[in-house]
Amino acid sequence: MTSLRVGLVGAGGISHVHVAAWQALGADITVYSPAGADALAAQYGLSVAKDIADLLARVDIVDIVTPSPAHKPLALAAIKASKHLVCEKPLGATRADASEIARAAREAGVQAYPAHVVRFFPEYAAIKAEIDAGRIGTPAVLRFTRTGQAPRAGSWFFSEPDGGGIVLDQMIHDLDQARWMAGEVTQVYAVQNPPTVDGVVPGIVTAQVVLTHAGGAISHVQGVWGPPGTTFRTSVEVAGDAGSIGYESPDDGSIRVELPAARNDTNYLPPSTHSESPYLTQLREFVVAFAGGPAPRVSLGDGVAAVALAEAAIASIRSGLAVSLQDGVFDDRPDEPALATEGVEA
Amino acid sequence: MNGEAGRLKVAILSFAHTHALSYARLLAARDDIELVASDPNGREAPDAAARGAALAADLGVRYLESYDDVFAWGPDAVIVTAENARHRELVERAAAAGAHILCEKPLATTLEDGQAMLAAVEAARVRLMIAYPVRFSPSFVDARARVRSGQLGAVLGILGTNNGKIPLADRAWFTDQELAGGGALVDHVVHCADLLDELLGEPAASVRAVSNRILHASRTVAVETGGLVTLRYPSGVIATIDCSWSVPDSAPTWGGLTLQIVGTKGIVTIAPFAQHVSGYDATGPVFASVSDDLDAAMLDTFLAAVRDNTHPQPDGAVGMRTLQIVDAARRSAVTGQPVSLGRAMP
Repeated sequence: MTSLRVGLVGAGGISHVHVAAWQALGADITVYSPAGADALAAQYGLSVAKDIADLLARVDIVDIVTPSPAHKPLALAAIKASKHLVCEKPLGATRADASEIARAAREAGVQAYPAHVVRFFPEYAAIKAEIDAGRIGTPAVLRFTRTGQAPRAGSWFFSEPDGGGIVLDQMIHDLDQARWMAGEVTQVYAVQNPPTVDGVVPGIVTAQVVLTHAGGAISHVQGVWGPPGTTFRTSVEVAGDAGSIGYESPDDGSIRVELPAARNDTNYLPPSTHSESPYLTQLREFVVAFAGGPAPRVSLGDGVAAVALAEAAIASIRSGLAVSLQDGVFDDRPDEPALATEGVEA
Repeated sequence: MNGEAGRLKVAILSFAHTHALSYARLLAARDDIELVASDPNGREAPDAAARGAALAADLGVRYLESYDDVFAWGPDAVIVTAENARHRELVERAAAAGAHILCEKPLATTLEDGQAMLAAVEAARVRLMIAYPVRFSPSFVDARARVRSGQLGAVLGILGTNNGKIPLADRAWFTDQELAGGGALVDHVVHCADLLDELLGEPAASVRAVSNRILHASRTVAVETGGLVTLRYPSGVIATIDCSWSVPDSAPTWGGLTLQIVGTKGIVTIAPFAQHVSGYDATGPVFASVSDDLDAAMLDTFLAAVRDNTHPQPDGAVGMRTLQIVDAARRSAVTGQPVSLGRAMP
């Protein structure tokens, strides 16, 4: 039986859902993190590595769930050690970082995938499938919203130079969705209020990004980091020339809960509405690819493109002007990384 | 001036806009109104819908053959529901005749026409109200009260949608560049723009729009059918309006309007046309509206202003400010860059 040996780097908020998903896949997990590793290991029965070199010596797959600025050095170290790689979004804190990771993976012949998990949410995947099947014709106007309470005050999430900010951290999910559903983007216009000052995004903030796609479709992406207690909600509406399709998150009709006494302040992640976590669906698809199976629904190039869109949006917010993406803006996007020919057996 | 037994003499000028039918039914049912209608351009309409005397008979409204006949009759007030480009001539004529005016939205198709209309009513000292009925919806009144009381904190951003079916079969002039002044940008930006004007109490500083013609492209529509208009306000507020004719012909209702207001302390979302009962009949889903009749509330306000000689809202000035947004959106959609309205930016 194949044994999955996974090295988790990072022990913050998102690490818990990754651990649960890896364990559902039967993985042996070793964790390395400058902070929180022991507690995470104790909670889930993981091994702890003393440093990155120790971790890389003990695993076949590396899963990076650290703050964004650490993605590049960690990813490059994993690639250098010929480990397959999963990296939380954004793939890099900057487009240059993301491109460098992609180039290194391609040259080393290892597989690396950005965790754009919204592609694995059943509703978003179903909308993409219906579009691809031609059910609504050619997409014309798309709208995406994502609303939740702002991250913990004072954290790196608010620092744009550190790969934070509402556009790069939160809205990148829907920038990726818009590109997934309506194709490559030629122009980006974005606004944000309150504005970012000295690289620091205000605590309560909203931004809106308008994308023009190469095929003529237009997309609107709205992100909100609201006050504590804000209900996590996402929505998507796609209008095509033969119909429309959409979804709004907590109102999927399968359950309704009234808990007036409960404080609604721990909703950083979307509510779970299916028996299988999308994080598990995502990691399973990556593992199948690592083992020589079909390519996943998200590529390394998609990860670079998403960061590029977020960077263009931030540039537009700063300048007040629409930013054109010339043809070939994603020239540095690698081809699909070569599929591994061997499995991940120890 | 008044008619028999103190009844107000009201004339509906043209059946070009479908809203004229709603106004005619409501006014015909009132016993404080003496109502006539004229629709001399109806016979040249490029569609097969009933117009003119035949439609007036259906509605139970006394019909006069020409506008000359209407003004000879001596109306106290007129309702201008002609094609957008014909608003000016009728408003100027009504003002010259001393009649108060309720003008269908948008005010006009060009800034020059709008300015001339405002000058005409000012010179004649008659009242001009613009037909923005959504202002009268209980959900908007509630949201406005929450904003004004500070319940949402400072308003940061607003997302408005006004999506509907394309008005092609009944009233083909809506897709005529000359008569309508454009497509979805002209038809469906102004309602949300009016609500923004009322909520924020400040005119927009810049407008940026994208549009396309993917929806209904197969029906040789020569105007834009999809559009996203992004506004910035001097206070820093950002807003986007989706004005697309993106509701499929197969939908069980014409469309709707939503407004989401994001503040530092919370979020309120309204959908003034959402109240309905639903089911299925032999041909598909049923959507039976139970929303308040907003036209009735708007007509009440207009007629009270005429009677009491008070200044009705929404007035010509907001009609002009919302027309400026449409005009800027049309220009921005050509260049892809924002258009400044000459006001201080944050």
